[in-house]
Amino acid sequence: MSYEVMVGNKACATGVKLARVKVASAFPITPQTTITEYLSDMYAAGEFDFDFVNVEGELTSQVVVQAATAVGARSFTCTSGPGLLYMHHPMQETASKRLPLVMAVVHRGVKGMQPDHSDLMSQQWQGWIHLYVENAQEILDTCVMAYKIAEDKRIRLPVAFGYDGYVLSYTAEPVEIPAQEEVDKFLPPYKPMPSILPDEADPATFGRGFGDADPQKPWQVHHEAALMAEPVIKEVFADWAKRFGRSYGNGMIDPYRIDDAEAIITAMGTIAGSAMSAVDKLRADGKKVGLVKIRSFLPFPRNDFREMAKRIGAFGIIDRSCQPGMGGPTWHQMRSTLYGQPGPQILGFYAGLGGKEVRVDDIVKIGEKTLKAAKGQKAEPLVEWV
Amino acid sequence: MIEIRLHGRGGQGAVTASRILATAAYEEGKYSQAIPMYGTERRGAPLTAYVRIDDTRVRERELVHTPDYSLCMDPLLSQQQAVADSVKPGGVVLLNTPMKPEDSKLAGDIKIATVDATSIALETLGRPITNTAILGAFVKVTGVLKVESINKAILKYYPGRIGEMNIAAVKKSYELVKGPVQAKFKEAPKIKVDLDVGGYGVLKDVSSWRVFTPKVDEAKCTGCKTCWIFCPENALEWGEDKKPHMVSRVCKGCGVCANECPVKAIEMVRVEI
Amino acid sequence: MSQRITRAQIPMEELTLVPGSACQGCGAALASRLTFKALGPNVIRHGVPCCPDAVTKHPRAGAVFEGGGASLTGTARGLKAIGRTDVKAVGFFGDGGVYDIGFQGLSAAAERNENILVICKDNEAYMNTGNQRSSGTPKYAETSTNPIGPKSRGKETQKKNVPMIFAAHYVPYIATASVAFPEDLIAKVKYARDLEGFRMIIIQSPCPVGWNFDSAKTIEVARTGVLSGMWPLYEIENGTSFKLNYKPKELKPVVEYLKPQRRFRHMTEAEVNEIQTYVTERWQKLVKADEVHQVII
Repeated sequence: MSYEVMVGNKACATGVKLARVKVASAFPITPQTTITEYLSDMYAAGEFDFDFVNVEGELTSQVVVQAATAVGARSFTCTSGPGLLYMHHPMQETASKRLPLVMAVVHRGVKGMQPDHSDLMSQQWQGWIHLYVENAQEILDTCVMAYKIAEDKRIRLPVAFGYDGYVLSYTAEPVEIPAQEEVDKFLPPYKPMPSILPDEADPATFGRGFGDADPQKPWQVHHEAALMAEPVIKEVFADWAKRFGRSYGNGMIDPYRIDDAEAIITAMGTIAGSAMSAVDKLRADGKKVGLVKIRSFLPFPRNDFREMAKRIGAFGIIDRSCQPGMGGPTWHQMRSTLYGQPGPQILGFYAGLGGKEVRVDDIVKIGEKTLKAAKGQKAEPLVEWV
Repeated sequence: MIEIRLHGRGGQGAVTASRILATAAYEEGKYSQAIPMYGTERRGAPLTAYVRIDDTRVRERELVHTPDYSLCMDPLLSQQQAVADSVKPGGVVLLNTPMKPEDSKLAGDIKIATVDATSIALETLGRPITNTAILGAFVKVTGVLKVESINKAILKYYPGRIGEMNIAAVKKSYELVKGPVQAKFKEAPKIKVDLDVGGYGVLKDVSSWRVFTPKVDEAKCTGCKTCWIFCPENALEWGEDKKPHMVSRVCKGCGVCANECPVKAIEMVRVEI
Repeated sequence: MSQRITRAQIPMEELTLVPGSACQGCGAALASRLTFKALGPNVIRHGVPCCPDAVTKHPRAGAVFEGGGASLTGTARGLKAIGRTDVKAVGFFGDGGVYDIGFQGLSAAAERNENILVICKDNEAYMNTGNQRSSGTPKYAETSTNPIGPKSRGKETQKKNVPMIFAAHYVPYIATASVAFPEDLIAKVKYARDLEGFRMIIIQSPCPVGWNFDSAKTIEVARTGVLSGMWPLYEIENGTSFKLNYKPKELKPVVEYLKPQRRFRHMTEAEVNEIQTYVTERWQKLVKADEVHQVII
C-alpha cells in the first residue's frame, strides 16, 4: 500500500492498472484526455501487461473494447461529453450483449466544455449501471469495484462511473494505492459468460437473433438484471470496506449526518463534497440538515430513500443536469420512488450546469430552504435554478 | 484551512508548482487539494491555479476566492493588480520580480514580498522556468510548509539531477526573498488589466505574453516583407515607409520575424520590468 | 495546376481578426492567415474541434468533430439550392478532423465529388487536447500517447498518406503546401477556390509546443521539411496528372529536419537511416511521376 498526491485522472488510470485490465482503448477529449496519456505512459514503460489501442474516434473505442470483452479480455474505455454521445450507438449493444465493460465518464456537459452531468444522464436508456464519484480516492476504488459488480454472474452488465471534469479530473489530492496482491484477492480474473472462443462456445447459443417467441422478453430480462445490481453493489462495497478499510456508505448511498436530521439534501459528484462542508456549517448553526451522497443513480436507491422518507420532512434534490422539457432526472426519480408514500416535500435545485461554480454557501441556502419546507413551510418555487 | 492562489503563464509550470505544494503538504501529514483554472493551455497565456491545505480531508470544490496567500511566478504579471485581488486582509502576496517590495505598486491590505525567481532559475536551471524557484521564497515568507517537504515533493516530480537543480533553486530563493512589507497603497487602481486572457477566439491584448519583444533596425531593413509575411499573428503592419511596425497588443514575442529576417534587422530584446 | 506568383503579388488585405488565442509561433495560425488572404471574403468557413489558430472575418459553420465532410456537403448543396454558388464552402480542419475522426465523412464527400474546398492544417497530432498521436503523426515521433519507454519508440507506423488517398477518389484537385512557401500556398488556394468539385489542400503547420522546438523556428522547421523531402510539395488533378512544385537538385539529409525537434530526440542512428531510406525512395517515385506527369503511388 502506498500514497501519492495525484489528480483524478491518474487515480482512474491507477485503478485500471490494479484491476489488471487487458485491453484499453480511448480517443482523447477534454477533460478525459490525461487518462489516455497516463495509460500510454504505463504501456510504454511496461508497467503492467495490457494493450492500449489509440483509435480515430469514440465510436471505434467503444466497439473495440466491446469486442475485446466478448472474447474474454477485461477491457476499459473512457470519454467525456460529446465523446460519449458519439459512442451512443454501439454503447447500447455493450449492454444488450451483457458485456461487463467498465467505462469512466469524465463529466463534461454536452453544451460546452465545463462539467455537468448531462453527458452520462443522457445515456440513461442504454441499459448500463451508472455510478457517480466525488473524490480521487473514490475514483480509484470505484474503478476496481466496478469490474467486480459488472462481472457478477447475477448482473453481467456494463458499468459507467462518472466524475466531474477539471475540479476532480485535473485536481490533485492524496490517494492511497492498495497493494496489487490485495486487489487480486478481491477481484478474480474475468471469465466471459458465455464464451465466444471457438473451442469453448456452446453451439446452442448460435443463430439466436430476431424472431424470439416473446419479443418483449429481452427487455424484461435486461430490466431485471439492472435492478439486481442493487444487492450486488451493496455486497461488493461491503467486501471492499472489510478488506481495505474504506467504506462509502452502503455503496448505493453515502449518508452524512442524517441520523437526527429533519431535512436531507442529496447530491452526486463533487457537489456532494462541498455539500459536506455546507452541512457542517448548517449544523454549527443548529440547523438539523443531513446529506445523502447518491453513488448509484442507476439502479436508483429506492429502498434507502423509502426508509428515510418515513422520518424526514423534506428532501432537497440537487441535479447537475436538466432534461429540456422534462426537468431534473434525480428529482423525477425521487418523486416516483416516494409516490404513494405520505410525507416529505421534494424540492428540486439545478446547480452546476454548464460548469457553473457551486459555492458552499449556495448549498447552505439549499439546506435552509429544505429545512423550512421540512418544518411545514410550502416550498416556493418547488424547483429552482441556483 | 490555508488557501493559496498561484499566477503564472502557460509553459511556466504553475500547475506543477501547485501540485508540488499539495505533495509537500502531504509529506507533512496534511491533506491537500490543487485545482488548476484551465481555460485553454496556450503557451505564453496567463493562467491561475489554487491550493488548499488542511488537517482533514478537503471536501469543497469551489475555486479559491479569498486566498490567504497569492503567488505570482511571472515578472510581468507581477505588475498587474489582479494578482493581489481578493486576498484576505493581512494576506501575503509573493511576486517574482527584481523589484524591492517597497517599490511594488500593488494595493490593498496586503503584505508584499519579492524575489527575482527568473534570474535564480536562469542561474540554477539554465531556463526561465520559475515554478520551483519561487517555492523556496514562499515557504520562507509564509511558514506554511517546511523546505524539506518542498524538496521531497520536487524529487517526486523531477528525479535525479534535474531534481537536485530545482532544489538548488528553492534554496536560493529561500535565502534571497525580500519582505514581506505592508503594501504602500491601500486603494486598488480603477483600471485593471484582465488576466483572464485565455479562451478561444479573438483576444483583447496579448502584450502580457511577451517575455522578449522584436526591435527593428530600420537602417538595416531592406523592405523585403519576409517578416510581414511570416508573422503568425499578423502583428507587423507594413507601413507606407516600406518598413514593418509592431502592433503591441497583437505581438506575442514568438521570435519568428527575427529568425527569418534575411539581413538580421530584427532583434528579440528582453522586456524591461 | 496553379500558376506561380511572386512575393509582390501576395495580397495585402488581412482577413484574420487579431490577436488570436494560438500559442506563440503557431504554424497553424500562419496557415490560416495565408489561406484566408488567398480566399478573400465570399466564404462560409467550416470548423470542427481543433486548435484555435485564428479567427477570420467570415461567417462560421461549426460541426461535430466527425462531421466536417457532412457539414460542408450540406452547406454546398444548400447554397446551390438557393442559387448562391458564388459563396464558397470551405473547411479549415486539423489532422484529427481530416485524417482520423473526420475521415469517413470526407471520403464519402470526395466520392460524391461535392463542391467543397477542404484545407487541412496538419500539425501532426491532436494538439488542442495536448499532443496525442494522430494518423498524421510521423513515425518515431513522441507524443503524449506514444511516449518513449522500454515498450515504445514513439509512433509505430508511418504517416498516413492522405493526399494520395484522396487523389485516389479521382477528385479535381489535391495539393500539399507549406507555411514556409507562402507564394506557393497562396497560388494553390486561389487556384483551388475557383474550381468546381472536391478540392483538398494539406498545409504542414509546425507546432512549437507539440513538436518541441523554440517558437522562433517555426518557419525554419517547415522549410527544412520541404527541402529534405519529408514534406514534398505537389499537385494532383483528377487523381491522375501530377506535378512536383519544388525540386531541389539535392535533398537535405532528413537528420537536419529531425534534430531540432525534441519529439525526435530519442531516435537512434538506425532509425534515422530508416527514415532517410523511406524518404529517398518516396522522393524518387515523386520525381519519376513528375517527369511523366502521372501519379505513381
